[in-house]
Amino acid sequence: MIYFYMFKEFFKIGLLSFGGGFATLPFLYHIAEKYHWYSVEELTQMLAISSITPGPVGINMATYAGMKTQGLITAVIATISIILPSLFIVIAISKLLKKFSDNFYVKSAIYGLKPASCALIAAVALKLIKSSVTTIWGGLIFGTLLLILFTKKKSPVFYLVVSGLAGLLLNIVGKAQ
Amino acid sequence: MKIRLWEIFKVFTKIGAILIGGGYVILPILKEEVIEKRNWISEDELVDYYAISQSLPGLIAANISIFIGYKLRGKFGALAATIGIITAPFICIASIATIVSKIIGWPPLESILWGVDFGVIVLIIASVQELWSKAISDKFALFMFFVFLFSILKWKIPPTPIILSSIVIGILYKLVLKKRGLE
Repeated sequence: MIYFYMFKEFFKIGLLSFGGGFATLPFLYHIAEKYHWYSVEELTQMLAISSITPGPVGINMATYAGMKTQGLITAVIATISIILPSLFIVIAISKLLKKFSDNFYVKSAIYGLKPASCALIAAVALKLIKSSVTTIWGGLIFGTLLLILFTKKKSPVFYLVVSGLAGLLLNIVGKAQ
Repeated sequence: MKIRLWEIFKVFTKIGAILIGGGYVILPILKEEVIEKRNWISEDELVDYYAISQSLPGLIAANISIFIGYKLRGKFGALAATIGIITAPFICIASIATIVSKIIGWPPLESILWGVDFGVIVLIIASVQELWSKAISDKFALFMFFVFLFSILKWKIPPTPIILSSIVIGILYKLVLKKRGLE
């Protein structure tokens, strides 16, 4: 039965997430809360590794979530299920192309979808801030990184390496967690 | 000359292996692999595929790859591109997940992961920032954003109903504007 639920949930992500890899996050968060195949804490770990390893972030996340659930078989199911809707949709609209994206209903739907997708990801960020930023030292690392984000853009690797080193350093001086 | 399915699979496996970070960085890689080296599609086609892929559901990198595969060899080409793009990441993540689960609990690693959490949250905020500039095009879009955010946080509404209702609201709003002759 878990195979069927996996298929259903990841197919839904492929069908309903708009805006690339990070748009899968609200769905993955919801799955963590609903099925407990992996925990919310593990989700941030998965995202960190998925952002710095080869491959589209969304594919990596699906494979990782599947691995966490029951290993290889569920990883295959999650990965295939998340990409399957794309396969159907792209084949279906390939012949229409411009006609599709100029269509009034398509344009209006996307007009509504974008703020919704943005709000879904923002909500995940807020929930994670609430659950993770619990100490002064944590707040300090987070605040510094946020300042860097707003003043100068850096690559994802930069934020992950710097925050990882900060964690290790604080552990050495006994201030982590 | 018919392009072999094996060739399509091989090229997209390579793209999956050298791409880091997902949809938005795939353009330069595709330009080199499928336009400059192989002349499979034109630059205009790539731009079209990229633009449409962003407004389709699912992963942007996967959508573009499937478009190109389909253009080259129809349904089987699309399938070859799909299998290709997921192969390298799948092998990579499956191995890493196995290793990570073995070394978890080792205290220094725990502190690194504790720190990395903050980096991850900043990356998520960066993606919100990026989407924001495309999503919030007028006051009504801004209004929708806050209504959705409030309903997600306050009433814990799951992603599926949020997405489905946003499609309905977007279409209704634009229909009303059209009826009033505002658009």
